Amino acid sequence: MGRKRKRSESSELVARPKKEDAAPERPARTLLGWKDKNQVTDEVEDSNVHSPIFRNKEKVLVTCSRRISYRYRHLMLNLVSLLPHCKKDNKVESKETKGATLNELVELKNCSSCLFFECRKQKDLYLWMGKCPNGPSVKFLVSAVHTMEELKLTGNHLKGSRPLLTFSSNFEKDAHWKLLKEMLLQIFEIPKDHRKAKPFHDHVFVFSIVDDHIWFRNYQISVHHNESDKLPRGGLDKMTLIEVGPRFCLNPIKIFGGSFGGPTLYQNPFYVSPNQIRALEKKKKAGKFAKKVKAKTKRKMHEMANPLEPDEFADMWKD
Amino acid sequence: MAVPLDNVDSMIDDEREDMGEEMSSSESEQDDIRLAEPSKNAVYNRDAIIDKLGDISWPESVEWIHKLSIDVDQEQEVDVNDDLARELAFYTQALEGTRQAFEKLQSMGLPFLRPADYYAEMVKTDGHMEKVKGRLLAEKRKMEEAEERRKAREAKRLAKEIQAQKLKERAKQKKEDIESVKKWRKQRQQSGFADTGNDADADAAFDFEDGKVFQRSNKKRPGVAPGDRSGGKARQAFGKGKKQKKRDIKNSKFGFGGKKGLKKQNTADTTNDYGKFKKRAFSENKKRKR
Repeated sequence: MGRKRKRSESSELVARPKKEDAAPERPARTLLGWKDKNQVTDEVEDSNVHSPIFRNKEKVLVTCSRRISYRYRHLMLNLVSLLPHCKKDNKVESKETKGATLNELVELKNCSSCLFFECRKQKDLYLWMGKCPNGPSVKFLVSAVHTMEELKLTGNHLKGSRPLLTFSSNFEKDAHWKLLKEMLLQIFEIPKDHRKAKPFHDHVFVFSIVDDHIWFRNYQISVHHNESDKLPRGGLDKMTLIEVGPRFCLNPIKIFGGSFGGPTLYQNPFYVSPNQIRALEKKKKAGKFAKKVKAKTKRKMHEMANPLEPDEFADMWKD
Repeated sequence: MAVPLDNVDSMIDDEREDMGEEMSSSESEQDDIRLAEPSKNAVYNRDAIIDKLGDISWPESVEWIHKLSIDVDQEQEVDVNDDLARELAFYTQALEGTRQAFEKLQSMGLPFLRPADYYAEMVKTDGHMEKVKGRLLAEKRKMEEAEERRKAREAKRLAKEIQAQKLKERAKQKKEDIESVKKWRKQRQQSGFADTGNDADADAAFDFEDGKVFQRSNKKRPGVAPGDRSGGKARQAFGKGKKQKKRDIKNSKFGFGGKKGLKKQNTADTTNDYGKFKKRAFSENKKRKR
C-alpha cells in the first residue's frame, strides 16, 4: 500500500498527467477531493496549487569518501540514525570526477539531496551538501566534531521522531545564509508522515550562526511526567533540555550553482584552508635555523665593517 | 549576469561585516584561523543565489507542520571562544524554540512528547545508556568521596588547633601554679616562717595527692599482660573467639606475653623495699669467695 501511495504522490508533485490517469480508480481517500482540483490547475503553476498538495518527499543520500577516519565515520552514522529519510551508500573514491559519480549515485538511489563526507589527509573533514539534480550545492569545512557516542552527552530520544528545527535569527542576514537555511531545513527535517517517522517530537536541532560558522546541536526535550498523566501538563516551565549529540561546526567554503559543480555563487572571503594553516605553522618553525644563520652573518658583516680601535693599554701589564 | 557589479556590492558589504567582527572579537580561534581581511577575488553572486533559493525553496504556503522550524533571536553577539557562553546561547535558543513550537503544536492539538508508555527504538542503545549512567554514577561517587576527604581534612585541622589550644592552656595553668607557689614561698620567707605549725600541712598540701604517682597501678587489666604498655592493643589483632579471650584473661592473671624487661626493671619502690632483702645470702657469698 505504501508503494502505491508513493507512486501516486510522485505523479502529483511532478504533475505528470499520464500517471494521474492511471491512479483515479483507487478507493475513496480523504485526499481524493483535492486531487481533482490539482488536475484542473496543473498547468497554472500557482503557489496556491502547491499548498494543499504539498508533500515533502525529500530523500537524502548519505555517503563518504574512502579513507575516512573513524571519528568522522561515526559522525556520519550518527546523522544517519537521526535522519530516517536518508539512504546510506558505499564509500566513494574522492577524485576529481567525484561530482559526476555522486550525481549518478544520487539519481540511481532516487534521492533529492545528498550529504557527502569527504575526509582528506585523515584529518580534515569536508561536508558537501547538495540538492540534486540541479543544485545548489555547498561545501563546508567541518570542525569541532563530537559524536553521539561520547559519554558526556547524556540525552536520548526516539529514533525517527521528527525534530524541531531552530535557526538563529542571523540566518536572515544575507542571501547565502538564507539559501543555507533553506537547504538545512529541507535536508534535516524529516518529512511529515514518513513511514519511518514517529509521531512525537522529543528532540530539537539548533542551527546557529556564530562567528560566521554554523553550529549544530541536538537536544532532547524532557519534561517531568506526572505518574498518572500520560501527557505532560504545564510542562512549559519545567521543560529542560539534555544534549544528545552529535556536535559539529560548519564553515561554509563555497556555494555552487549545480549539484557538485557548476558556477560558484559564493566564496567565503575569510576562508583559509587547513593545509595553508599547517604550512604556515611549519614555516614558522622552519624559519628558526635560517634566522639564526642570517643573524650570525649579519653580525659578522657588522664587525667587519666597524673594526675595533686598537687598545692602547693592551700590553700595559705584559712585561 | 551582473557579476562584476555584484562583486563590488559584496565587497562593500563584506568590509562592513568585517569591521563589526573585529570589534567583537579580536580573532583568536583555537583551531581555525581566518583571513584578517576578505580576499579580493571572493565571489558573491547575490542574484544567482536568490534565484537558486527561489528554485529550491518550498512554496510559501507550506504549513508549519511540514517545516517545524522556528527562528529565534540571538540577543547579543556570542563570543565563540567562551565555551560556556556559546553553549548557553545554543541552549537558550533551543529552549526558546521548543517553547514556541510546543505552544503551536498544542494549539493544533497534536501530540508533542512521547508518552511514558510508548516504547520504541531509541537513537542510543540501552547498552550505551547503561554506560552513560555508569559514568554519571561514578562521577557522583567521586565527588562525594572528594567531599568526604575534604571534610575529614578540615576536621583534623580543627582538632589539631583545639589540641594546641588545650596544650597552651595547660602550660599556662602550670606556669601560673608554679608562680603562685613561688610567690607564696617568698611571702612565707619574708614573713619569717611565721606559722611553722602549719608548715607540714602546707607542704603536704602541695605534695601530690596520694604520694604514689610514679607507682605502677596494680590493677588487673583483663586482656592486658602485665608490663604491656600498649594496653593490650598489640595483641588485639589475634584476639578472636572464646578460647582466645579465656587465654588472654589467664595471661593477664598469671603472666604471659608482653615485654619481660619491663617487669624485671627496678622502680623506685622496689629499690627502697628492703623487705625481702636477705642479708645472709650476700654474706655467705662473700665468705665463699674467700
